[in-house]
Amino acid sequence: MSRLNRAEVLNNIPLTDREFILRLKLPPGSLSPMPGQFYLLRATNTFDPLLRRPFSAFRWSDEWVDFLISEKGKGTLVLKSLRPGDEIDLLGPAGNYFPPPSGDMKLLVVAGGIGIASVFSILREYNGDSVLFYGARSSDALLIRKDIEDFSGEVVLCTDDGSIGFKGSVVERLRLYINERTPEKAIVYACGPEAMITALKTYMKETGLRGYISLEERMACGVGACMGCVKNTSEGMKRVCIEGPVFPVEVL
Amino acid sequence: MNLTVKIGKMVMKNPVTTASGTFGYGQEYAEFVDLNCLGAVTVKGISREPRQGNTPPRIFETPCGMLNSIGLQNVGLEAFLKEKLPYLRGFDTNVIVNILGGTIKEYIELAEALDGRVDAIELNVSCPNVKKGGILFSSDEAIFRELIREVRKNVVNSTLIVKLSPSASSILSQARICEEEGADAISMINTIPAMAIDIESRRPRLSNIIGGLSGPAIRPIGVRMVWEVHKTVRIPIIGMGGIMTAGDALEYILAGATAVAIGTANFVDPTTTMKVLKGIEDYMRNHEIEDFSSLIGGLIWDREGR
Ligand SMILES: Cc1cc2nc3c(=O)[nH]c(=O)nc-3n(C[C@H](O)[C@H](O)[C@H](O)COP(=O)(O)OP(=O)(O)OC[C@H]3O[C@@H](n4cnc5c(N)ncnc54)[C@H](O)[C@@H]3O)c2cc1C
Ligand SMILES: Cc1cc2nc3c(=O)[nH]c(=O)nc-3n(C[C@H](O)[C@H](O)[C@H](O)COP(=O)(O)O)c2cc1C
Ligand code: FES
Repeated sequence: MSRLNRAEVLNNIPLTDREFILRLKLPPGSLSPMPGQFYLLRATNTFDPLLRRPFSAFRWSDEWVDFLISEKGKGTLVLKSLRPGDEIDLLGPAGNYFPPPSGDMKLLVVAGGIGIASVFSILREYNGDSVLFYGARSSDALLIRKDIEDFSGEVVLCTDDGSIGFKGSVVERLRLYINERTPEKAIVYACGPEAMITALKTYMKETGLRGYISLEERMACGVGACMGCVKNTSEGMKRVCIEGPVFPVEVL
Repeated sequence: MNLTVKIGKMVMKNPVTTASGTFGYGQEYAEFVDLNCLGAVTVKGISREPRQGNTPPRIFETPCGMLNSIGLQNVGLEAFLKEKLPYLRGFDTNVIVNILGGTIKEYIELAEALDGRVDAIELNVSCPNVKKGGILFSSDEAIFRELIREVRKNVVNSTLIVKLSPSASSILSQARICEEEGADAISMINTIPAMAIDIESRRPRLSNIIGGLSGPAIRPIGVRMVWEVHKTVRIPIIGMGGIMTAGDALEYILAGATAVAIGTANFVDPTTTMKVLKGIEDYMRNHEIEDFSSLIGGLIWDREGR
Protein backbone atom coordinates (compact mmCIF):
# COMPACT_ATOMS: atom_id res chain seq x y z
CA MET A 1 0.00 0.00 0.00
CA SER A 2 1.48 3.29 -1.07
CA ARG A 3 2.03 5.98 1.52
CA LEU A 4 0.98 8.62 -1.03
CA ASN A 5 -2.77 8.99 -1.40
CA ARG A 6 -5.71 11.24 -2.13
CA ALA A 7 -7.90 11.43 0.95
CA GLU A 8 -11.43 12.72 1.40
CA VAL A 9 -12.26 15.19 4.16
CA LEU A 10 -14.89 13.57 6.39
CA ASN A 11 -15.30 16.57 8.64
CA ASN A 12 -13.50 19.63 9.91
CA ILE A 13 -14.53 20.83 13.34
CA PRO A 14 -13.44 24.15 14.85
CA LEU A 15 -12.40 24.00 18.52
CA THR A 16 -11.43 27.65 18.99
CA ASP A 17 -10.96 30.41 16.42
CA ARG A 18 -7.48 29.02 15.65
CA GLU A 19 -7.63 25.31 16.40
CA PHE A 20 -9.60 22.66 14.58
CA ILE A 21 -9.82 18.89 14.12
CA LEU A 22 -9.58 17.68 10.54
CA ARG A 23 -10.78 14.14 9.85
CA LEU A 24 -9.55 12.45 6.68
CA LYS A 25 -10.78 9.18 5.28
CA LEU A 26 -7.97 6.65 4.97
CA PRO A 27 -7.89 4.70 1.72
CA PRO A 28 -8.82 1.02 2.33
CA GLY A 29 -5.85 -1.05 3.39
CA SER A 30 -3.75 1.94 4.54
CA LEU A 31 -1.10 1.47 7.15
CA SER A 32 -2.16 2.68 10.59
CA PRO A 33 0.14 5.17 12.28
CA MET A 34 1.88 4.67 15.61
CA PRO A 35 1.91 7.31 18.38
CA GLY A 36 4.28 10.12 17.39
CA GLN A 37 4.13 9.48 13.64
CA PHE A 38 2.94 12.20 11.31
CA TYR A 39 1.52 12.85 7.86
CA LEU A 40 2.40 15.49 5.28
CA LEU A 41 -0.68 17.29 4.01
CA ARG A 42 -1.21 19.36 0.90
CA ALA A 43 -4.58 20.84 0.11
CA THR A 44 -4.02 23.06 -2.94
CA ASN A 45 -3.01 22.54 -6.54
CA THR A 46 -1.46 25.98 -6.75
CA PHE A 47 2.13 26.84 -5.82
CA ASP A 48 1.52 29.19 -2.91
CA PRO A 49 1.62 27.57 -0.38
CA LEU A 50 4.01 25.22 -2.11
CA LEU A 51 5.30 22.55 0.24
CA ARG A 52 3.45 19.88 2.18
CA ARG A 53 2.95 20.59 5.88
CA PRO A 54 3.62 18.00 8.60
CA PHE A 55 0.98 17.13 11.24
CA SER A 56 0.93 14.44 13.91
CA ALA A 57 -1.64 11.70 13.79
CA PHE A 58 -3.83 12.74 16.71
CA ARG A 59 -6.40 9.94 16.72
CA TRP A 60 -7.30 7.21 14.23
CA SER A 61 -9.28 4.13 13.34
CA ASP A 62 -8.89 1.74 10.41
CA GLU A 63 -11.02 4.09 8.32
CA TRP A 64 -9.95 7.60 9.26
CA VAL A 65 -7.29 9.73 10.88
CA ASP A 66 -7.81 12.94 12.86
CA PHE A 67 -5.41 15.88 12.97
CA LEU A 68 -5.50 18.50 15.68
CA ILE A 69 -4.22 21.64 14.02
CA SER A 70 -3.44 25.18 15.08
CA GLU A 71 -3.63 27.88 12.41
CA LYS A 72 -0.23 29.52 11.91
CA GLY A 73 0.05 30.79 8.34
CA LYS A 74 -0.92 30.09 4.74
CA GLY A 75 -0.76 26.30 4.84
CA THR A 76 -2.83 25.82 7.97
CA LEU A 77 -5.32 28.46 6.81
CA VAL A 78 -6.06 26.39 3.69
CA LEU A 79 -6.55 23.29 5.85
CA LYS A 80 -8.87 25.21 8.17
CA SER A 81 -11.16 26.13 5.29
CA LEU A 82 -11.61 22.55 4.02
CA ARG A 83 -15.16 21.18 3.84
CA PRO A 84 -16.47 17.60 4.00
CA GLY A 85 -16.14 16.02 0.58
CA ASP A 86 -13.01 17.97 -0.40
CA GLU A 87 -10.03 15.85 -1.41
CA ILE A 88 -6.46 16.49 -0.35
CA ASP A 89 -3.05 14.89 -0.77
CA LEU A 90 -1.81 12.76 2.09
CA LEU A 91 1.68 11.31 2.53
CA GLY A 92 2.31 9.02 5.47
CA PRO A 93 2.49 7.68 8.04
CA ALA A 94 5.96 9.20 8.24
CA GLY A 95 8.81 9.25 10.73
CA ASN A 96 9.56 7.08 13.73
CA TYR A 97 7.30 6.74 16.79
CA PHE A 98 7.40 6.77 20.57
CA PRO A 99 8.81 3.34 21.47
CA PRO A 100 6.20 1.40 23.48
CA PRO A 101 7.12 1.00 27.15
CA SER A 102 8.65 -2.31 28.13
CA GLY A 103 7.35 -4.07 31.22
CA ASP A 104 5.81 -2.33 34.15
CA MET A 105 6.31 1.39 33.68
CA LYS A 106 4.71 4.58 34.79
CA LEU A 107 4.05 6.58 31.61
CA LEU A 108 4.54 10.30 32.12
CA VAL A 109 2.95 11.95 29.09
CA VAL A 110 3.92 15.62 28.92
CA ALA A 111 2.24 18.01 26.47
CA GLY A 112 2.56 21.75 25.98
CA GLY A 113 0.06 23.57 23.76
CA ILE A 114 -0.58 21.97 20.38
CA GLY A 115 2.02 19.32 21.36
CA ILE A 116 -0.94 17.40 22.78
CA ALA A 117 -1.66 16.32 19.18
CA SER A 118 1.48 14.21 19.05
CA VAL A 119 1.32 12.49 22.45
CA PHE A 120 -2.40 12.07 23.14
CA SER A 121 -2.64 8.73 21.31
CA ILE A 122 -0.13 7.20 23.74
CA LEU A 123 -2.82 7.20 26.41
CA ARG A 124 -4.99 4.97 24.24
CA GLU A 125 -2.49 2.89 22.31
CA TYR A 126 0.04 1.93 24.97
CA ASN A 127 -0.65 -0.18 28.03
CA GLY A 128 0.53 1.05 31.35
CA ASP A 129 -0.28 3.37 34.16
CA SER A 130 -0.28 6.78 32.45
CA VAL A 131 -0.35 10.29 33.83
CA LEU A 132 -1.06 13.19 31.48
CA PHE A 133 0.60 16.54 32.20
CA TYR A 134 -0.97 19.08 29.89
CA GLY A 135 -0.12 22.75 29.94
CA ALA A 136 -1.18 25.86 28.05
CA ARG A 137 -1.34 29.63 28.42
CA SER A 138 -4.80 29.65 29.99
CA SER A 139 -7.84 27.45 30.47
CA ASP A 140 -9.39 28.29 27.09
CA ALA A 141 -6.19 27.24 25.33
CA LEU A 142 -6.45 23.74 26.81
CA LEU A 143 -7.99 21.77 23.97
CA ILE A 144 -10.01 18.55 23.70
CA ARG A 145 -11.31 18.79 27.27
CA LYS A 146 -14.00 16.19 26.59
CA ASP A 147 -11.47 13.58 25.45
CA ILE A 148 -9.39 14.34 28.50
CA GLU A 149 -12.37 13.86 30.82
CA ASP A 150 -13.03 10.51 29.16
CA PHE A 151 -9.48 9.38 29.89
CA SER A 152 -9.57 7.17 32.97
CA GLY A 153 -6.01 7.84 34.15
CA GLU A 154 -4.60 10.72 36.15
CA VAL A 155 -4.66 14.16 34.50
CA VAL A 156 -2.64 17.17 35.66
CA LEU A 157 -3.58 20.45 33.99
CA CYS A 158 -1.30 23.49 34.14
CA THR A 159 -1.81 27.06 32.96
CA ASP A 160 0.56 30.00 32.86
CA ASP A 161 -2.12 32.28 34.30
CA GLY A 162 -3.51 29.78 36.81
CA SER A 163 -7.00 30.00 35.30
CA ILE A 164 -7.26 26.26 35.78
CA GLY A 165 -5.09 23.65 37.49
CA PHE A 166 -1.53 24.32 38.53
CA LYS A 167 -0.22 27.85 37.95
CA GLY A 168 3.07 27.40 36.18
CA SER A 169 4.75 25.23 33.59
CA VAL A 170 4.23 21.51 33.03
CA VAL A 171 7.89 20.91 33.71
CA GLU A 172 7.69 22.55 37.15
CA ARG A 173 4.62 20.46 37.87
CA LEU A 174 6.34 17.29 36.68
CA ARG A 175 9.22 18.04 39.06
CA LEU A 176 6.81 18.36 42.00
CA TYR A 177 5.10 15.14 41.02
CA ILE A 178 8.34 13.20 40.83
CA ASN A 179 9.57 14.64 44.12
CA GLU A 180 6.33 13.62 45.84
CA ARG A 181 5.80 10.21 44.37
CA THR A 182 9.28 9.09 43.33
CA PRO A 183 7.95 6.49 40.89
CA GLU A 184 10.40 3.63 40.57
CA LYS A 185 10.17 2.96 36.88
CA ALA A 186 9.00 5.89 34.84
CA ILE A 187 9.29 6.94 31.25
CA VAL A 188 8.56 10.36 29.78
CA TYR A 189 6.86 10.95 26.41
CA ALA A 190 6.77 14.63 25.51
CA CYS A 191 5.96 17.19 22.85
CA GLY A 192 5.57 20.93 23.13
CA PRO A 193 6.97 24.37 22.39
CA GLU A 194 10.70 25.06 22.34
CA ALA A 195 10.84 26.62 25.83
CA MET A 196 9.12 23.60 27.37
CA ILE A 197 11.42 21.17 25.56
CA THR A 198 14.51 23.04 26.74
CA ALA A 199 13.35 23.05 30.37
CA LEU A 200 12.31 19.41 30.21
CA LYS A 201 15.60 18.32 28.65
CA THR A 202 17.55 20.08 31.38
CA TYR A 203 15.39 18.57 34.11
CA MET A 204 15.57 15.05 32.69
CA LYS A 205 19.34 15.20 32.31
CA GLU A 206 19.73 16.50 35.88
CA THR A 207 17.68 13.70 37.36
CA GLY A 208 18.48 10.90 34.94
CA LEU A 209 14.79 10.52 34.12
CA ARG A 210 14.47 8.53 30.90
CA GLY A 211 12.22 9.22 27.97
CA TYR A 212 11.49 10.51 24.50
CA ILE A 213 10.78 13.93 23.07
CA SER A 214 9.14 14.73 19.74
CA LEU A 215 10.75 17.66 17.91
CA GLU A 216 9.62 19.97 15.12
CA GLU A 217 11.54 21.42 12.22
CA ARG A 218 10.39 22.87 8.92
CA MET A 219 10.23 20.23 6.23
CA ALA A 220 10.41 20.14 2.45
CA CYS A 221 10.51 16.53 1.18
CA GLY A 222 9.42 14.65 4.31
CA VAL A 223 11.13 11.51 3.00
CA GLY A 224 14.75 12.00 4.05
CA ALA A 225 16.03 13.35 0.74
CA CYS A 226 16.58 17.10 1.11
CA MET A 227 18.45 17.33 4.46
CA GLY A 228 16.32 20.37 5.24
CA CYS A 229 14.76 19.24 8.53
CA VAL A 230 17.83 18.33 10.56
CA LYS A 231 18.46 18.88 14.27
CA ASN A 232 21.90 18.85 15.78
CA THR A 233 22.17 15.92 18.21
CA SER A 234 25.03 14.34 20.11
CA GLU A 235 25.08 11.75 17.32
CA GLY A 236 25.39 14.38 14.57
CA MET A 237 22.78 15.95 12.31
CA LYS A 238 19.57 13.93 12.35
CA ARG A 239 16.63 14.32 9.97
CA VAL A 240 13.42 14.95 11.90
CA CYS A 241 11.34 13.41 9.09
CA ILE A 242 13.10 10.02 9.09
CA GLU A 243 15.32 9.61 12.15
CA GLY A 244 12.74 11.60 14.14
CA PRO A 245 10.50 13.25 15.06
CA VAL A 246 10.94 11.27 18.28
CA PHE A 247 14.37 11.33 19.91
CA PRO A 248 15.63 9.77 23.15
CA VAL A 249 16.48 12.57 25.57
CA GLU A 250 20.10 11.39 25.86
CA VAL A 251 20.99 12.51 22.32
CA LEU A 252 19.42 15.98 22.62
CA MET B 1 7.91 7.70 -30.56
CA ASN B 2 11.60 8.28 -29.93
CA LEU B 3 12.50 10.00 -26.66
CA THR B 4 16.18 9.09 -26.62
CA VAL B 5 18.67 11.90 -26.08
CA LYS B 6 22.43 11.97 -25.86
CA ILE B 7 24.41 14.04 -23.37
CA GLY B 8 28.08 13.53 -24.21
CA LYS B 9 28.64 9.77 -24.15
CA MET B 10 25.58 9.20 -22.01
CA VAL B 11 22.49 7.90 -23.79
CA MET B 12 19.26 8.63 -21.92
CA LYS B 13 16.12 6.67 -22.77
CA ASN B 14 14.12 9.82 -22.11
CA PRO B 15 15.04 13.43 -21.32
CA VAL B 16 13.93 13.43 -17.66
CA THR B 17 16.34 13.41 -14.73
CA THR B 18 16.33 14.74 -11.17
CA ALA B 19 18.04 17.88 -9.86
CA SER B 20 20.93 17.27 -7.48
CA GLY B 21 20.00 17.58 -3.82
CA THR B 22 16.29 17.13 -4.33
CA PHE B 23 16.17 13.36 -4.87
CA GLY B 24 18.56 12.13 -2.19
CA TYR B 25 20.51 9.14 -3.48
CA GLY B 26 17.49 7.79 -5.38
CA GLN B 27 16.52 5.29 -2.72
CA GLU B 28 14.42 7.83 -0.82
CA TYR B 29 12.04 8.11 -3.80
CA ALA B 30 12.03 4.48 -4.98
CA GLU B 31 8.81 4.01 -3.04
CA PHE B 32 7.04 6.52 -5.33
CA VAL B 33 8.91 6.34 -8.64
CA ASP B 34 10.16 3.37 -10.67
CA LEU B 35 13.75 4.53 -11.05
CA ASN B 36 14.05 2.40 -14.21
CA CYS B 37 11.71 4.88 -15.94
CA LEU B 38 14.01 7.88 -15.44
CA GLY B 39 16.47 8.98 -18.12
CA ALA B 40 18.99 9.43 -15.31
CA VAL B 41 19.14 9.83 -11.55
CA THR B 42 21.22 12.82 -10.42
CA VAL B 43 22.28 12.44 -6.80
CA LYS B 44 23.05 14.87 -3.99
CA GLY B 45 26.41 16.65 -4.29
CA ILE B 46 29.28 14.49 -3.04
CA SER B 47 32.45 15.78 -1.41
CA ARG B 48 35.64 13.87 -0.66
CA GLU B 49 34.95 13.82 3.06
CA PRO B 50 31.46 13.59 4.63
CA ARG B 51 29.98 17.02 5.43
CA GLN B 52 27.81 18.06 8.35
CA GLY B 53 26.23 20.98 6.54
CA ASN B 54 24.86 24.19 8.02
CA THR B 55 23.13 24.72 11.35
CA PRO B 56 19.31 24.54 11.18
CA PRO B 57 16.92 26.13 10.30
CA ARG B 58 17.93 25.36 6.74
CA ILE B 59 14.76 25.87 4.75
CA PHE B 60 12.07 28.50 4.47
CA GLU B 61 9.14 28.74 2.12
CA THR B 62 8.67 31.94 0.10
CA PRO B 63 5.97 32.77 -2.46
CA CYS B 64 6.00 29.94 -5.06
CA GLY B 65 9.45 28.89 -3.96
CA MET B 66 11.75 27.99 -1.11
CA LEU B 67 15.09 29.01 0.31
CA ASN B 68 17.60 26.36 1.32
CA SER B 69 20.96 26.52 3.01
CA ILE B 70 21.66 22.82 3.43
CA GLY B 71 25.38 23.54 3.22
CA LEU B 72 25.94 20.44 1.13
CA GLN B 73 25.53 17.88 3.88
CA ASN B 74 26.44 14.53 2.30
CA VAL B 75 27.82 11.09 3.12
CA GLY B 76 31.19 11.66 1.43
CA LEU B 77 32.86 9.79 -1.44
CA GLU B 78 33.73 6.56 0.32
CA ALA B 79 30.27 5.91 1.76
CA PHE B 80 28.71 6.93 -1.53
CA LEU B 81 30.72 4.35 -3.46
CA LYS B 82 30.16 1.65 -0.86
CA GLU B 83 26.58 2.22 0.23
CA LYS B 84 24.72 4.34 -2.30
CA LEU B 85 26.10 3.60 -5.77
CA PRO B 86 25.60 -0.21 -5.72
CA TYR B 87 21.91 0.34 -4.99
CA LEU B 88 21.50 2.72 -7.93
CA ARG B 89 23.44 0.36 -10.19
CA GLY B 90 20.63 -2.15 -9.68
CA PHE B 91 18.39 -0.03 -11.90
CA ASP B 92 18.35 0.37 -15.64
CA THR B 93 19.09 4.10 -15.57
CA ASN B 94 22.06 6.44 -15.82
CA VAL B 95 23.68 7.77 -12.69
CA ILE B 96 24.85 11.38 -12.65
CA VAL B 97 26.98 12.32 -9.67
CA ASN B 98 27.16 15.95 -8.64
CA ILE B 99 30.56 16.76 -7.08
CA LEU B 100 31.85 19.66 -5.03
CA GLY B 101 35.11 20.58 -3.48
CA GLY B 102 36.98 23.36 -1.72
CA THR B 103 40.07 23.04 -3.91
CA ILE B 104 40.77 22.01 -7.49
CA LYS B 105 42.69 19.05 -6.07
CA GLU B 106 39.60 17.83 -4.26
CA TYR B 107 37.53 18.02 -7.45
CA ILE B 108 40.23 16.11 -9.32
CA GLU B 109 40.32 13.36 -6.72
CA LEU B 110 36.57 13.02 -6.84
CA ALA B 111 36.60 12.94 -10.63
CA GLU B 112 39.34 10.29 -10.68
CA ALA B 113 37.51 8.10 -8.21
CA LEU B 114 34.20 8.33 -10.07
CA ASP B 115 35.38 8.28 -13.69
CA GLY B 116 34.05 5.21 -15.45
CA ARG B 117 32.04 4.09 -12.42
CA VAL B 118 29.18 6.52 -13.03
CA ASP B 119 27.63 7.66 -16.30
CA ALA B 120 28.21 11.34 -15.77
CA ILE B 121 29.93 13.70 -13.39
CA GLU B 122 28.28 17.06 -12.78
CA LEU B 123 30.58 19.77 -11.45
CA ASN B 124 28.89 21.98 -8.91
CA VAL B 125 30.94 25.15 -9.19
CA SER B 126 28.22 27.45 -8.05
CA CYS B 127 26.62 26.50 -4.79
CA PRO B 128 26.37 29.73 -2.81
CA ASN B 129 25.98 28.00 0.55
CA VAL B 130 29.38 26.63 1.37
CA LYS B 131 31.50 28.76 3.62
CA LYS B 132 34.14 26.31 4.62
CA GLY B 133 37.03 25.95 2.23
CA GLY B 134 34.78 27.04 -0.56
CA ILE B 135 35.84 29.79 -2.87
CA LEU B 136 33.05 30.29 -5.34
CA PHE B 137 34.74 28.81 -8.40
CA SER B 138 32.12 30.44 -10.58
CA SER B 139 33.05 33.94 -9.50
CA ASP B 140 36.55 33.98 -11.01
CA GLU B 141 36.77 33.10 -14.68
CA ALA B 142 40.45 32.15 -14.65
CA ILE B 143 39.93 29.71 -11.79
CA PHE B 144 36.69 28.48 -13.34
CA ARG B 145 38.55 27.70 -16.57
CA GLU B 146 41.42 26.00 -14.75
CA LEU B 147 38.99 23.86 -12.75
CA ILE B 148 37.20 22.57 -15.84
CA ARG B 149 40.46 21.97 -17.68
CA GLU B 150 41.99 19.98 -14.80
CA VAL B 151 38.86 17.95 -14.13
CA ARG B 152 38.41 17.25 -17.85
CA LYS B 153 41.87 15.62 -17.93
CA ASN B 154 40.67 13.17 -15.32
CA VAL B 155 37.24 12.43 -16.72
CA VAL B 156 37.94 10.11 -19.60
CA ASN B 157 35.21 7.50 -19.51
CA SER B 158 32.29 9.36 -17.98
CA THR B 159 30.44 12.35 -19.39
CA LEU B 160 31.43 15.71 -17.89
CA ILE B 161 28.68 18.21 -17.13
CA VAL B 162 29.28 21.67 -15.65
CA LYS B 163 26.47 23.15 -13.60
CA LEU B 164 26.18 26.90 -13.99
CA SER B 165 25.02 29.43 -11.45
CA PRO B 166 22.52 32.16 -12.34
CA SER B 167 24.50 34.55 -10.15
CA ALA B 168 27.68 34.31 -12.24
CA SER B 169 28.73 37.69 -13.61
CA SER B 170 28.36 36.45 -17.17
CA ILE B 171 26.70 33.13 -17.71
CA LEU B 172 27.42 33.35 -21.44
CA SER B 173 31.15 33.68 -21.05
CA GLN B 174 31.08 30.80 -18.54
CA ALA B 175 29.18 28.69 -21.05
CA ARG B 176 31.83 29.49 -23.69
CA ILE B 177 34.59 28.49 -21.27
CA CYS B 178 32.83 25.15 -20.67
CA GLU B 179 32.71 24.49 -24.39
CA GLU B 180 36.29 25.61 -24.99
CA GLU B 181 37.62 23.41 -22.20
CA GLY B 182 35.86 20.36 -23.55
CA ALA B 183 32.96 19.90 -21.13
CA ASP B 184 30.38 17.58 -22.69
CA ALA B 185 27.35 19.48 -21.42
CA ILE B 186 26.03 22.30 -19.28
CA SER B 187 23.32 22.01 -16.63
CA MET B 188 21.49 25.08 -15.44
CA ILE B 189 20.28 26.77 -13.37
CA ASN B 190 21.42 26.31 -9.81
CA THR B 191 19.52 28.15 -7.06
CA ILE B 192 19.54 31.96 -6.85
CA PRO B 193 21.06 33.52 -3.69
CA ALA B 194 18.22 35.03 -1.68
CA MET B 195 17.11 35.96 1.82
CA ALA B 196 14.06 36.29 4.08
CA ILE B 197 13.62 37.99 7.47
CA ASP B 198 11.32 37.34 10.41
CA ILE B 199 10.21 40.89 11.20
CA GLU B 200 9.03 40.01 14.72
CA SER B 201 12.37 38.67 15.94
CA ARG B 202 14.33 40.77 13.36
CA ARG B 203 16.34 37.67 12.65
CA PRO B 204 17.05 35.97 9.31
CA ARG B 205 14.80 32.99 8.55
CA LEU B 206 17.83 30.79 7.85
CA SER B 207 20.66 30.39 10.31
CA ASN B 208 23.04 30.79 7.36
CA ILE B 209 21.27 34.13 6.60
CA ILE B 210 21.48 33.63 2.82
CA GLY B 211 20.05 30.61 1.03
CA GLY B 212 19.33 29.46 -2.50
CA LEU B 213 15.94 30.18 -4.02
CA SER B 214 14.35 27.33 -6.00
CA GLY B 215 10.91 26.36 -7.23
CA PRO B 216 8.39 27.82 -9.70
CA ALA B 217 9.34 31.39 -8.75
CA ILE B 218 12.67 31.05 -10.61
CA ARG B 219 11.46 29.27 -13.75
CA PRO B 220 11.25 32.28 -16.10
CA ILE B 221 14.83 33.19 -15.21
CA GLY B 222 15.99 29.66 -15.96
CA VAL B 223 14.17 29.56 -19.29
CA ARG B 224 15.69 32.87 -20.33
CA MET B 225 19.21 31.76 -19.41
CA VAL B 226 18.88 28.41 -21.18
CA TRP B 227 17.74 30.22 -24.32
CA GLU B 228 20.68 32.62 -24.21
CA VAL B 229 23.20 29.83 -23.61
CA HIS B 230 21.63 27.66 -26.31
CA LYS B 231 22.21 30.46 -28.82
CA THR B 232 25.82 30.79 -27.69
CA VAL B 233 27.25 27.27 -27.46
CA ARG B 234 26.71 23.95 -29.22
CA ILE B 235 27.10 21.52 -26.31
CA PRO B 236 23.81 20.13 -24.91
CA ILE B 237 22.04 21.74 -21.96
CA ILE B 238 20.19 20.06 -19.09
CA GLY B 239 17.55 22.62 -18.14
CA MET B 240 16.17 23.04 -14.64
CA GLY B 241 14.70 25.59 -12.27
CA GLY B 242 11.09 25.48 -11.12
CA ILE B 243 9.81 22.73 -13.40
CA MET B 244 6.51 21.57 -11.92
CA THR B 245 4.69 20.25 -15.00
CA ALA B 246 5.34 18.86 -18.48
CA GLY B 247 4.44 22.28 -19.86
CA ASP B 248 7.23 23.86 -17.80
CA ALA B 249 9.67 21.21 -19.03
CA LEU B 250 8.65 21.86 -22.64
CA GLU B 251 9.38 25.58 -22.20
CA TYR B 252 12.96 24.67 -21.29
CA ILE B 253 13.18 22.22 -24.20
CA LEU B 254 11.88 24.74 -26.73
CA ALA B 255 14.34 27.27 -25.31
CA GLY B 256 17.16 24.83 -26.08
CA ALA B 257 17.44 22.20 -23.34
CA THR B 258 18.19 18.65 -24.49
CA ALA B 259 17.10 17.18 -21.16
CA VAL B 260 15.35 18.50 -18.06
CA ALA B 261 15.80 17.99 -14.33
CA ILE B 262 13.03 18.02 -11.72
CA GLY B 263 14.04 19.58 -8.40
CA THR B 264 11.85 21.23 -5.79
CA ALA B 265 8.77 19.70 -7.45
CA ASN B 266 9.80 16.30 -6.04
CA PHE B 267 9.06 17.71 -2.57
CA VAL B 268 5.63 18.91 -3.61
CA ASP B 269 4.67 15.73 -5.45
CA PRO B 270 7.15 12.83 -5.31
CA THR B 271 5.77 11.47 -8.60
CA THR B 272 6.41 14.68 -10.60
CA THR B 273 9.15 13.10 -12.75
CA MET B 274 6.72 10.48 -14.07
CA LYS B 275 3.99 13.05 -14.66
CA VAL B 276 6.38 15.26 -16.60
CA LEU B 277 7.52 12.32 -18.72
CA LYS B 278 3.97 11.29 -19.50
CA GLY B 279 3.01 14.88 -20.30
CA ILE B 280 5.89 15.20 -22.77
CA GLU B 281 4.74 12.00 -24.48
CA ASP B 282 1.17 13.30 -24.65
CA TYR B 283 2.38 16.58 -26.14
CA MET B 284 4.37 14.73 -28.79
CA ARG B 285 1.37 12.56 -29.64
CA ASN B 286 -0.96 15.56 -29.84
CA HIS B 287 1.45 17.47 -32.04
CA GLU B 288 2.35 14.37 -34.09
CA ILE B 289 6.01 14.61 -33.23
CA GLU B 290 7.86 11.36 -33.74
CA ASP B 291 11.33 12.36 -32.63
CA PHE B 292 11.85 14.24 -29.38
CA SER B 293 15.07 15.84 -30.56
CA SER B 294 13.15 17.89 -33.13
CA LEU B 295 11.67 19.86 -30.23
CA ILE B 296 15.00 20.94 -28.76
CA GLY B 297 15.50 24.67 -29.31
CA GLY B 298 12.28 24.69 -31.31
CA LEU B 299 11.29 28.17 -30.18
CA ILE B 300 9.81 30.18 -33.02
CA TRP B 301 11.06 33.72 -32.82
CA ASP B 302 11.58 36.76 -34.86
CA ARG B 303 14.97 38.44 -34.85
CA GLU B 304 13.45 41.87 -35.34
CA GLY B 305 10.80 41.85 -32.66
CA ARG B 306 9.33 38.96 -30.70
C1 LIG C 1 6.63 16.27 12.91
C2 LIG C 1 5.74 17.47 13.06
C3 LIG C 1 4.47 17.32 13.57
C4 LIG C 1 3.62 18.43 13.70
N1 LIG C 1 2.38 18.23 14.21
C5 LIG C 1 1.54 19.27 14.30
C6 LIG C 1 0.20 19.06 14.80
O1 LIG C 1 -0.22 17.95 15.10
N2 LIG C 1 -0.61 20.14 14.88
C7 LIG C 1 -0.19 21.41 14.51
O2 LIG C 1 -0.98 22.35 14.60
N3 LIG C 1 1.07 21.61 14.07
C8 LIG C 1 1.94 20.59 13.94
N4 LIG C 1 3.21 20.81 13.46
C9 LIG C 1 3.61 22.17 13.06
C10 LIG C 1 3.04 22.49 11.69
O3 LIG C 1 3.61 21.67 10.72
C11 LIG C 1 3.29 23.96 11.31
O4 LIG C 1 2.66 24.80 12.24
C12 LIG C 1 2.73 24.27 9.94
O5 LIG C 1 3.51 23.62 8.98
C13 LIG C 1 2.73 25.76 9.66
O6 LIG C 1 2.32 25.94 8.32
P1 LIG C 1 1.69 27.31 7.83
O7 LIG C 1 1.77 27.34 6.35
O8 LIG C 1 0.35 27.52 8.40
O9 LIG C 1 2.63 28.36 8.47
P2 LIG C 1 3.83 29.13 7.80
O10 LIG C 1 3.27 30.29 7.07
O11 LIG C 1 4.70 28.18 7.07
O12 LIG C 1 4.56 29.59 9.10
C14 LIG C 1 3.91 30.28 10.14
C15 LIG C 1 4.78 30.23 11.35
O13 LIG C 1 4.96 28.89 11.81
C16 LIG C 1 6.34 28.51 11.82
N5 LIG C 1 6.47 27.14 11.33
C17 LIG C 1 6.24 26.70 10.07
N6 LIG C 1 6.48 25.39 9.96
C18 LIG C 1 6.87 24.97 11.19
C19 LIG C 1 7.25 23.71 11.71
N7 LIG C 1 7.32 22.60 10.99
N8 LIG C 1 7.60 23.66 13.00
C20 LIG C 1 7.57 24.74 13.76
N9 LIG C 1 7.21 25.96 13.32
C21 LIG C 1 6.86 26.08 12.06
C22 LIG C 1 7.01 29.48 10.87
O14 LIG C 1 8.35 29.68 11.20
C23 LIG C 1 6.19 30.74 11.04
O15 LIG C 1 6.61 31.51 12.13
C24 LIG C 1 4.07 19.72 13.32
C25 LIG C 1 5.36 19.87 12.81
C26 LIG C 1 6.19 18.78 12.68
C27 LIG C 1 7.56 18.96 12.12
C1 LIG D 1 17.28 21.28 -0.91
C2 LIG D 1 18.11 21.49 -2.14
C3 LIG D 1 19.42 20.96 -2.21
C4 LIG D 1 20.22 21.15 -3.33
N1 LIG D 1 21.47 20.60 -3.38
C5 LIG D 1 22.24 20.77 -4.48
C6 LIG D 1 23.54 20.15 -4.59
O1 LIG D 1 23.98 19.41 -3.70
N2 LIG D 1 24.28 20.38 -5.72
C7 LIG D 1 23.80 21.14 -6.76
O2 LIG D 1 24.48 21.30 -7.75
N3 LIG D 1 22.57 21.71 -6.69
C8 LIG D 1 21.78 21.54 -5.59
N4 LIG D 1 20.52 22.12 -5.55
C9 LIG D 1 20.03 22.89 -6.70
C10 LIG D 1 19.10 22.05 -7.60
O3 LIG D 1 19.77 20.94 -8.12
C11 LIG D 1 18.51 22.89 -8.75
O4 LIG D 1 19.55 23.37 -9.54
C12 LIG D 1 17.70 24.08 -8.25
O5 LIG D 1 16.98 23.74 -7.09
C13 LIG D 1 16.73 24.62 -9.30
O6 LIG D 1 15.76 23.66 -9.66
P1 LIG D 1 14.28 23.56 -8.98
O7 LIG D 1 13.73 24.95 -8.95
O8 LIG D 1 13.51 22.64 -9.86
O9 LIG D 1 14.49 23.02 -7.62
C14 LIG D 1 19.71 21.92 -4.43
C15 LIG D 1 18.41 22.44 -4.36
C16 LIG D 1 17.60 22.24 -3.25
C17 LIG D 1 16.22 22.82 -3.22
S1 FES E 1 12.21 17.13 5.10
FE1 FES E 1 13.66 16.55 3.60
S2 FES E 1 15.06 15.38 4.78
FE2 FES E 1 13.47 15.78 6.17
